[in-house]
Amino acid sequence: MAYPYRHEKETRVLSAHFGDPEARTFAGWRARGGYEGLKKALELGRDEVIEIVKASGLRGRGGAGFPTGLKWSFMPKDDGKPHYLLVNADESEPGAFKDRELIRWTPHQVIEGALIGAYAIRAVHVYIYMRGEFFEPAQILARAIEEAYANGVAGKDIMGSGVDIDVTLHIGAGAYICGEETGLMNSLEGRRGQPRVKPPFPAAVGAFGMPTTINNVETVSTVSHIIKNGAEWYRQWGTEKSPGTKLFNVSGHVVRRGNFELPLGFNLKELIYDVCGGIRDGRKLKAVIPGGSSVPILSADEIDIPLDYEGVAQAGSMLGTASVIVMDDRTNIVKTVRRMVEFYAHESCGQCTPCREGTEWLAKIMRRIEAGQGTEADLDTMLELGKNMTGTTICVLSDSAAVPIASSIKRFREDYLALMRPGSREGAVPAAV
Amino acid sequence: MSRETEVKDRTNGVLRNPGWAGETGDYPHLTEADVRGLDYVGVRPLDGGHPGASCSYPYQLAVKNPEAPLFEGPYKERLEKILSRYPERRAALLPTLAMAQEVRGHLSPETMEEVARILGLAPAYVRGVATFYTMYNKAPVGTYLVQVCTNVCCNICGGDEVLEAFLQHTGTEPGEISADGMFTVMPAECLGACGFPTVVQINERYFENVTPEDVPDILAYLRSRGAAAGQGSERAPQAAAPSDVARED
Repeated sequence: MAYPYRHEKETRVLSAHFGDPEARTFAGWRARGGYEGLKKALELGRDEVIEIVKASGLRGRGGAGFPTGLKWSFMPKDDGKPHYLLVNADESEPGAFKDRELIRWTPHQVIEGALIGAYAIRAVHVYIYMRGEFFEPAQILARAIEEAYANGVAGKDIMGSGVDIDVTLHIGAGAYICGEETGLMNSLEGRRGQPRVKPPFPAAVGAFGMPTTINNVETVSTVSHIIKNGAEWYRQWGTEKSPGTKLFNVSGHVVRRGNFELPLGFNLKELIYDVCGGIRDGRKLKAVIPGGSSVPILSADEIDIPLDYEGVAQAGSMLGTASVIVMDDRTNIVKTVRRMVEFYAHESCGQCTPCREGTEWLAKIMRRIEAGQGTEADLDTMLELGKNMTGTTICVLSDSAAVPIASSIKRFREDYLALMRPGSREGAVPAAV
Repeated sequence: MSRETEVKDRTNGVLRNPGWAGETGDYPHLTEADVRGLDYVGVRPLDGGHPGASCSYPYQLAVKNPEAPLFEGPYKERLEKILSRYPERRAALLPTLAMAQEVRGHLSPETMEEVARILGLAPAYVRGVATFYTMYNKAPVGTYLVQVCTNVCCNICGGDEVLEAFLQHTGTEPGEISADGMFTVMPAECLGACGFPTVVQINERYFENVTPEDVPDILAYLRSRGAAAGQGSERAPQAAAPSDVARED
């Protein structure tokens, strides 16, 4: 049963079985070559698995793009402590909706990859931390975990290897910051999900004080394919520094929204106009956020760029979670940025003053500007605030809040100024408190 | 375009495109049950099933019983399973709060104290944690908690208008319980389904691709289900499916 829509330019590795309900089940996953990667990993040995993943060049899909094999190699060996693998399924970056699809269509793909990762880093337990709102994917994954135990791929002596690895699904309760890896660890431990100061890094002192690695759902899902088919096979796609395929989750004003699996380095313009069918209702493109709400916004004339970590950075933004938010020429940029800043103000955990205060100040100024009561000096104030919020806090939520402000003022200054001209205030609503 | 694709199946017939990896075609061969994995999940036991899956139950449900005992029968078994999965007792706090809300509908100070007692934590600590997270209801909510995403991807596609429609048709202000006790409507931050704007979480399920015009239909559908829930307010003893349907029938 084919997935309903498949663009000819897609390369489906992770998403090969999206839309096929049979692939969800343990038997169905096995019949599609599932758990062969785990079996091979157990035969290869832990260090060989890490070497293969290193050689594949796989980079973490949670946003930062850190090399996965290298991250795994930071875990101590023979230290006598229990190690943990945490799978970050707290998908909540505005724009991102890829992990939800991976989990609900192919839960065993996630479990298999997590078990390989856990084996490689000598972990005794995998905790899959899923955001609380994902009740539906959680039910599916819970069922898959039960199947994995029943079929001997999780728990004691997995696949007859003598290796024991437990898998537990843990669900959160609504806090964006728990997607930050140290906030996630605190939340798992039953605390407020406030990020921790690094160092110590999780590989040294992580969950429950033990060596821990945190990997994104898409990252672990990719691992089984790499182990099964080899590093060179994976490198046939993408670029030297950004190898492989990636789920591009496209939202906003395109004709076809959705997840599209493409080689890294795929052209952003081609993604929007070909794969996604262009802009809805015959409108024109105004702006694109290429990697989720925490990365700089690009204007319509900046999109002829390769979608890999380096290419997007060169254009002044970031690939992030490859969550492409497309905005047409009717989009009110000021309102959109105001809403994004309000999000960060709501989600700030409150530990660090620059973030706790700064996000609220930005939101207040943005509301004032949107209501037609701003001045050009407000723009400078916000840019200055943003500078003081960048690099001054425990985690990067604060930096992220400053990003849409700075990038939108740089590229869409005229949209702000238009709201500041005398005529624009007529009929404007009073500023909220 | 498939925007108007109707998906009719035994779960319900009123809702368009149930939401998957994209509105990218017509889907004659897939039912909503296929997409949501209802057959695969089946009925999960209230005692938690396998310990690895024991803290995965939905905890925003239509049926709420604020007086019900918390840690008895299958729930006691489930708590034991949850506790067995962590090296520290405190780590069971989030799952236990979730289970308490699943039973009672919200977390009153008294409920938090009970949770604190059973986990050996200070009540103030439990309250400190509970107030950090938005999904724990610190006050009662309506039968249906309607959370409308108004974050960026839904916002540029009309999320504010959908929120307004829910408020208008229920006659409520954000966070308020409607006069009939049926609805509490609130704006929500990103629900992680950005390809299907506007996304609305109603209790334990998502409604995707919602427009203001859909709102009266959705409310009527919920009212009919809510009435059924009110008549037979006994919880189905063996029911825990991802849709609200199994819990209420």
